[in-house]
Amino acid sequence: MNETTQNTIDRRIIERYTDQPVRMPAEVRAAIEGAWGGRPVQLYALTDLDAGMRLGEAWLALGERDVAIARPDAPKDTSGDAGTDTAWRVHTLARADVRAVRETPGLSGSTLTLLGEPDEPALGVVRYTHRQRRAVENIRFVLEQELEGRSVPTTDADDEYAASVAAPIREAQALVAGRESAVLWRLLGYLGRYRRQVAIGFVAATLITAVSLVPPYLAGYLIDSVVRPVQDGTMAAEDGAWIAWIAVTAMALVYLVRQASALVRLRYMAILGEWVARDLRTELYEHLQRLSLSFYSRKKTGSLITRVSSDTDRLWDFLAFGVVDVSLSAIMLLGLSAVLLTLDWRLGLVMVVPVPLFCWAIWRHGEHMNRFFIRAWRKWSRVTDVLSDTIPGMRVVKAFNQEERETGRFVERNVDVTDEFNRIHRSWTTFWPALMLAVHGTTVGVWAFAMPRLLGTGDAALSAGTFVSFLLYTTMFIGPIEIIGQMARTVQRATTSAHRVFEVLDTEPDVVDAAEPVKLEPVRGRVTFEDVSFGYDGVRQVLKGVSFDVAPGEMIGLVGPSGGGKTTVTNLIARFYDVTAGRVLVDGVDVRTLDTGHYRRQIGIVLQDPYLFHGSVMDNIRYGHPEASPEQVIQAAGAANAHDFIVKLPQGYDTIVGERGQNLSGGERQRVSIARAILHDPRILILDEATSAVDTETERKIQEAMDRLVAGRTTFAIAHRLSTLHRASRLFVMKDGRLAESGTHEELLARPDGIYGKLHGLQLELQTGA
Amino acid sequence: MVKLKPDAELELVLEQRTDGQLWARRNGAEKPVRVHRCFPWSEPGRYVSLRDDDDEEFALVGEPEELGAESRRALEAALAEAGFVLEVTRIADVDEEVEIRTWKVETRQGARSFQTRLDDWPTEVPGGGVVIRDVAGDLYHVADPEAMDEKSRRWLWAFVD
Repeated sequence: MNETTQNTIDRRIIERYTDQPVRMPAEVRAAIEGAWGGRPVQLYALTDLDAGMRLGEAWLALGERDVAIARPDAPKDTSGDAGTDTAWRVHTLARADVRAVRETPGLSGSTLTLLGEPDEPALGVVRYTHRQRRAVENIRFVLEQELEGRSVPTTDADDEYAASVAAPIREAQALVAGRESAVLWRLLGYLGRYRRQVAIGFVAATLITAVSLVPPYLAGYLIDSVVRPVQDGTMAAEDGAWIAWIAVTAMALVYLVRQASALVRLRYMAILGEWVARDLRTELYEHLQRLSLSFYSRKKTGSLITRVSSDTDRLWDFLAFGVVDVSLSAIMLLGLSAVLLTLDWRLGLVMVVPVPLFCWAIWRHGEHMNRFFIRAWRKWSRVTDVLSDTIPGMRVVKAFNQEERETGRFVERNVDVTDEFNRIHRSWTTFWPALMLAVHGTTVGVWAFAMPRLLGTGDAALSAGTFVSFLLYTTMFIGPIEIIGQMARTVQRATTSAHRVFEVLDTEPDVVDAAEPVKLEPVRGRVTFEDVSFGYDGVRQVLKGVSFDVAPGEMIGLVGPSGGGKTTVTNLIARFYDVTAGRVLVDGVDVRTLDTGHYRRQIGIVLQDPYLFHGSVMDNIRYGHPEASPEQVIQAAGAANAHDFIVKLPQGYDTIVGERGQNLSGGERQRVSIARAILHDPRILILDEATSAVDTETERKIQEAMDRLVAGRTTFAIAHRLSTLHRASRLFVMKDGRLAESGTHEELLARPDGIYGKLHGLQLELQTGA
Repeated sequence: MVKLKPDAELELVLEQRTDGQLWARRNGAEKPVRVHRCFPWSEPGRYVSLRDDDDEEFALVGEPEELGAESRRALEAALAEAGFVLEVTRIADVDEEVEIRTWKVETRQGARSFQTRLDDWPTEVPGGGVVIRDVAGDLYHVADPEAMDEKSRRWLWAFVD
């Protein structure tokens, strides 16, 4: 998706879902720029709380040299206009006068204070809800960068504002504002490549509908034109028998054609639906592989799995049967109505007039049930919450002897949800018999209207055959009425699923290759950070102006308190994310210009909790290098101190490790993952707490394996236990998103009051205490 | 249970300075602080953590009533801002779309539309009522669902017990 499309969507989101302007109103902008002597607004945010914490509209704007806060003044009359317009009071100040920016976050509202000299009154104060927080943070970020002597390149103010306000909604639903009909057409477009099958399916379904109308007609014809004349003696019995046998044969043919058409229709459409579902699943999975990690941090795994499985299955159902059922039910109802009105318009009206009412009643019932389903769904989620809470945490439940309490919690919720489901059952079991009673009521009406005419006491005679045909046709009404009544729900369920599938397909990866990506061959492994800033959510800056240069083959130990930005540094090196400001260079080339696939093949990662895939030990070791020979695999396993334990497994390298490698111990999994990294032979290696949570002997083995692994490669190793970084060439101490200290172990220890020195001292104390 | 007596034992004094910042002074040390309720719903008026710029706790005020009058006023003003949530008085509409639910509400602070994820439900809070959290993180407090008009209660019925 290009930027213009994204900006358009962002504005549409703001327009549709919020009560705020899609951009700064022209009169506010004019007032601010007027106060600035014509200098343009570079960045702005709506601040939607006033001093009394009531919702309102004020604007915070940033210019090249100025800051302004525009607040509405008393409404003023506009000459020549019938209404009134808001006048804006603009308070401006010089950016150079801002000495500090302070944000005070609250539960639902935050305050941004622009501070001047100490002990002087604040230069400006604005309050805003969380919805505006990203836009305000953008301004705060620029001001803080300036205070630290850095400049931030300007972007389009309107686009930045729209992206910031729309982001939370876009992240919850990427395809917002897509029209239902457009989604449906797009879905039906997938049928396009199977035109032949669709045509055959539709012809078969039309044939079923058409021939279904024949038997009732034949029944009426036989009664009026054969049975009664033969009984009355107006037709010879032989002639009657001859005609009757032709009619019976015709009836048999009709049923034969009907079922043959049903076979064709069911088979073609079911298979066709499967093909479309297969296409969608493949397209979805291929696309999921392309998406950036940020997408996976926004979406729950369960939700994505549902899209590839249940949603595509539901779409199969809709495409295979829903589309045809709904369209043919409509044709059937129209056809039946026409036939009934043609047979006898008086009785036809009795039967046909209530049909729209029945359809409406079914639709209305569906709407009514929706609230019941929401309530039941909510209560059902309370039941599953207990399960997902307690089953993984069963050790804790038992350790604290809370089995009875947890059982009580589950029983209470289980009873609660059962009550809700029973409420639903009471509702539908009341509705459907009542509806059927109404339908049968119309049949009774037909009888009541028909009887005098059948007996010859009415104003127009009615033949017994016509009446029998009529009764047979009325039984055919019920099915299409049900389908048409539920059409809205069927279509809505299908569009919801389609929407969820297309949402993924339409999400573009945040990390994309440049138009002409560069391939570094060979990668030497120099890694440089130039003034890098980054935030995952666009609000909180996790890295703030980090700069360093690492020579090829150096091993860097990343240390410091949790949340300091260590893992983020490695995420940016691997280009899982792109920087917000600054540059990450590899061998002097910006990683954003590199061919990502080629570059990532030069990177190896060993994590604290290594992820193994379901498959054999062999498959896992050669995951990044599938064509590796058994000799290469054994060599890598040997270097990772894994060979011995692997051959002791009953099935050696062919042992299935289980889901996420659960059949192996933590230390074993770790050594398999090191073997995987060794075989991958990366130029740049990232070790994220790779030796924690294992016993001393295992740690020794892992450490030996690590030493072999890091030799000759540029390595970034995150570790809380400083002793594991004995081979590091240099140590980087990360704190609060900044590179607080760097140097060798000895250099850092020599610093008075250094962070590293304190950490080292604390760990020594712990070891001594132990 | 530890009884916290800020003024008597900790000599805690709070004041709002000209720059709008809340300052805390105790035993000769003073720092600009921000307030953070430990129990925003169950004990909104007690147990307030005073945090400095490094987000370290400077002091924990267990019973604000034990502060001096000026300090208490300063604390209450800071708490009013920090504990701000939108107070819902009427629900005009709840509409579902793919993945999100849109609420149109009247609040004490003005009219507002907001979105929640379909699987994010309002939660009951210890002090009474329910809280709805929107996709941006804003909180909407329905203090007494039973006291709302019939239409609002009908909308809310599916979401609260």
